[in-house]
Amino acid sequence: MERIFTKILGIVLILVMVLSMVACGSSTTPDSVSTSTLAAATTTDSTTTPVEQPVTLKIYAQYSDEDTKAPYDYAIAAMKKDMPNVTLELDILAQDDNAKLKTYAATGNLPDVFQSGGDIINTLKASNNILMLDDQAPTADFKSKMQPSAMNTLMNSDGHIWAYPYAGNELVLLYYNKDLFTQFGVKVPTTVDELIQAAKTFNSKNITPLSIFSKEKWVGVSLFDCLATRMEPTGIRKLDTNQGKASDEAFTWAAQKFAELAKAGLFQKGATNTNNDQAESLFLTGKAAMFLNGQWEIATATEKMGDKVDWMAFPGKDAANYEEAKNNFSGGGGPGGYSVSPNSKNKDMAVKVAAYISFKYAECKYTTRGTPIVATKVNAPMVEAFPPMMEKLAKVIPDIKSFGSFDWNLTNAKFKVAIEDATQKLVTGGYTADEFVKDMDKAIVNANAE
Amino acid sequence: MNRISKNRVAVCIFTLPALLVFTVVVIYPISTTFYRSFFKWDGIGEAEFIFIKNFKNLLQDDIFYTSLKNGLVFAAVLVVLQIGIGTILALAVSDNSLKGKKVLRTAYFIPVVLSITVVCQLWLQMYDADNGLINKIFEKIGISYRQNWLTDKSTAILAIAVVNAWQYMGYHFTLLYAAIKSIPEHFYEAARIDGATRIKAHLHITLPLILETYKFCLTFAVAGGLNAYANMLIMTNGGPGTDTYTLTFMSFRAAFQTNEFGYGCAVAVVLVIESLLATLVINRLVARERITY
Amino acid sequence: MNIISKTNKLEKQNIFFKIFLWIYFVISLYPIVWMAFYSLKNNDEIFITNPFGFPTHFRVENYLSATKTFNIPVYFFNSIIVSFFTVVGTIAISLLFSYAAARMEWKLKNVARIYMIMGLFIPISVILIPLSKLLRDMHISNTYLAMIIPYIAMNMSFAVLVFYGFLRSIPFELEESAYIDGANVYRTFYSIIVPIIKPAIATVVIFIFLQAWNEFTFAYTLISNQSIKTLPLGLLFFQGKYTTDWGAMGACMTIASFPMVIIYLVFSEQVERAMTVGSAVKG
Repeated sequence: MERIFTKILGIVLILVMVLSMVACGSSTTPDSVSTSTLAAATTTDSTTTPVEQPVTLKIYAQYSDEDTKAPYDYAIAAMKKDMPNVTLELDILAQDDNAKLKTYAATGNLPDVFQSGGDIINTLKASNNILMLDDQAPTADFKSKMQPSAMNTLMNSDGHIWAYPYAGNELVLLYYNKDLFTQFGVKVPTTVDELIQAAKTFNSKNITPLSIFSKEKWVGVSLFDCLATRMEPTGIRKLDTNQGKASDEAFTWAAQKFAELAKAGLFQKGATNTNNDQAESLFLTGKAAMFLNGQWEIATATEKMGDKVDWMAFPGKDAANYEEAKNNFSGGGGPGGYSVSPNSKNKDMAVKVAAYISFKYAECKYTTRGTPIVATKVNAPMVEAFPPMMEKLAKVIPDIKSFGSFDWNLTNAKFKVAIEDATQKLVTGGYTADEFVKDMDKAIVNANAE
Repeated sequence: MNRISKNRVAVCIFTLPALLVFTVVVIYPISTTFYRSFFKWDGIGEAEFIFIKNFKNLLQDDIFYTSLKNGLVFAAVLVVLQIGIGTILALAVSDNSLKGKKVLRTAYFIPVVLSITVVCQLWLQMYDADNGLINKIFEKIGISYRQNWLTDKSTAILAIAVVNAWQYMGYHFTLLYAAIKSIPEHFYEAARIDGATRIKAHLHITLPLILETYKFCLTFAVAGGLNAYANMLIMTNGGPGTDTYTLTFMSFRAAFQTNEFGYGCAVAVVLVIESLLATLVINRLVARERITY
Repeated sequence: MNIISKTNKLEKQNIFFKIFLWIYFVISLYPIVWMAFYSLKNNDEIFITNPFGFPTHFRVENYLSATKTFNIPVYFFNSIIVSFFTVVGTIAISLLFSYAAARMEWKLKNVARIYMIMGLFIPISVILIPLSKLLRDMHISNTYLAMIIPYIAMNMSFAVLVFYGFLRSIPFELEESAYIDGANVYRTFYSIIVPIIKPAIATVVIFIFLQAWNEFTFAYTLISNQSIKTLPLGLLFFQGKYTTDWGAMGACMTIASFPMVIIYLVFSEQVERAMTVGSAVKG
């Protein structure tokens, strides 16, 4: 009887596998992310123009949500026309705070073209794993196309160019669902204490107050930076550059409020293991009242929620502080974009591709994703008008005097890792402000020790 | 005959490939690890000899203690769950009159052959705070014991250890079962005369006879705990914060994230020493002499 | 083990054990069955209407959407290549070495054997950081060899132990008579020894195949090339992707798991024996 059971089980399993294999076979282009631009284009052109050598380049890029997929696909589609001899093999960027990229560098496996920014540039620079672009062929042209206000994203603090930027000075926004706030009679908070009250109200109605994808550690860092910038306009940048301590008033207050918010149940359950997809869908489907993300979320949020969604200025310490600090934003740009490995076998082509893709990214974001916050000037016609949230933001942008910092623009690798871990712990609610301050002060000393 | 089995050329041909591969791929890197643990080195540039400073720094590092503790907790969970449950199941299945034996044995072993990625992804779904199987079951039976299994610092490491324990319990079960099956019937004759209960018989006869197997299971479980890495990498990436770090995690983070290659090597050295110590202790604690039937 | 007279107490114990056995049966299998079930459901069914039970509408489209963006055949192929050559390589060089160590006369043979067995006591992740540099210097990073060679080295200690044990237990007279008939050492090895230890080879083959098939840490750190990634790496791919589409995730995992489960069901005796032998020699 047992034999029969095992055999039947086996047969069933084989059947299912055969079925699934058939399913596999029927999808002819299963690897949709690697793009072969070769076949179609060269056959027709080969008679008139000299055929360029086909080149395959490896590229390491974000490709996880609409905001990162759309520009990549857009750039690839454009490349098909402009550089038909180039095939890109995409290695999707792991949301692991560059651990994978550093491993690639340490093992000599760097892709030809890769996304870089912040401390990774310094790290790779020190080990000759990133190509200096100052005198590369496309650089002069690229420089001339830069938006003047975004030059900080091109030039590194050492005066050199290591990456072709596409993003401008992006920033963190606190999105909220207007309908949910009206429905439950919650006032849009202007102080952190009101935010705590709002959290309590939403929790009692079984609505997640704020959904956060803290599996990506930068989000926790950004929330902390939002709080810190209430009283210290340069936010965590001050700590990164060793000009301040976590025990300074602005940061201690930020840590205390962060811990209180977590305790009050501001975040959804399991927030530190929630990824972008999951947190975003909580907000978009009306299960969460607020959502923290960069301004790049505007396009998706508007598309899915229409006029139900808006962003608010971050709540302050009190009413006076709210007014005073409402144009302090977390975020900002830094040198970063697409870089090239100096060990690439097709270095020149890789440089050309890096510049080209960055430019196309900006074009795509500007014309189809409703964001004017890009690195280069865009001449292409608009496909989508700017959504209202962006119009509102555009009015504020000229008044922004300084930014805090995105996690990926931090320059001290040890400090960056430490604040990522510490803020992720704050999100869990099982970590006190005192512990945070103590650990961070120790980490800052350690990070700057010689 | 002697001449032939002393054929030096043949000895070389037979042994050199193995010795060469093993030396180059295992022994050389591990010596490098030991050597580099005395340097301040970013992994690529100039290295500076700092003797035992890396180890001194280690003692000041809170993450080191978290990692050490997590390794031990992980090992303890594996020992208790894998060997404990494995023993009970193996004893029960070894009863000749039991029906469905083969089905049970097969079922217990299936998780072992699954890929660790599948197992971790599956459990990620099971632990999901809102929609996961585990919280849903608690909900169904009306117990308000819903937990954020993987994001609470007090449960995260245990939750991950349970996943590993679940996957490899079948392995320990199979080992123990085979050991029990190899005990000849006549060892139990005396017990039958005494009229001892089965539990007593097992305690006094079966378990002492399979101590060798226990030694192996213990070594395997403890080593698995101390070296745990893939489970947390996939399930929490060491988080929340550094709460599910282990020494392997810490050494990779130093080597690949904060550019402290030498420091990472020092962590690795501690891990080697810890593992060897554990093996030694287990061998001392569990009786040495092999029992022959 | 029908040794104790049947008393009431015994009956009770029996029932307790039986219940426990079947409870653990459920614990062992249900998560996998649950996965297979939800691979055929949509989110609504998984979360609200039917989280535990058998799928009511078979949503095969989950499998279609999973395979469309998820390149399973390639990962499969890579896993097979890597596992196959790891097995062949490990068996070949370990068997040769073990033969020399177990049945030939030379100085230092015990030292050499213990040296080879040291691998069992080293936490293998420790070698990873320097190894990754070594592979680059050998110009084989990001190739199949970057997995196969370390896997062979990692599994050799185990294979040597098993083979050595088996080879020592064969009577020496066998070879002597072969030598008298005029066979040389290579011929003796190939036509006398290898056939005898076939069962040991089979055991080691299964053990190493499983090890290589499921290896994760090394492959994760050493391989970036999409086209040579093995199955355990390929499955990580959807960590950033299908996370809100549980059905498709379930479908991916189910497809990836079935071959191993089937291999196990067909060769269960051999697989279990392989594991047991492993313990006998390691312990």
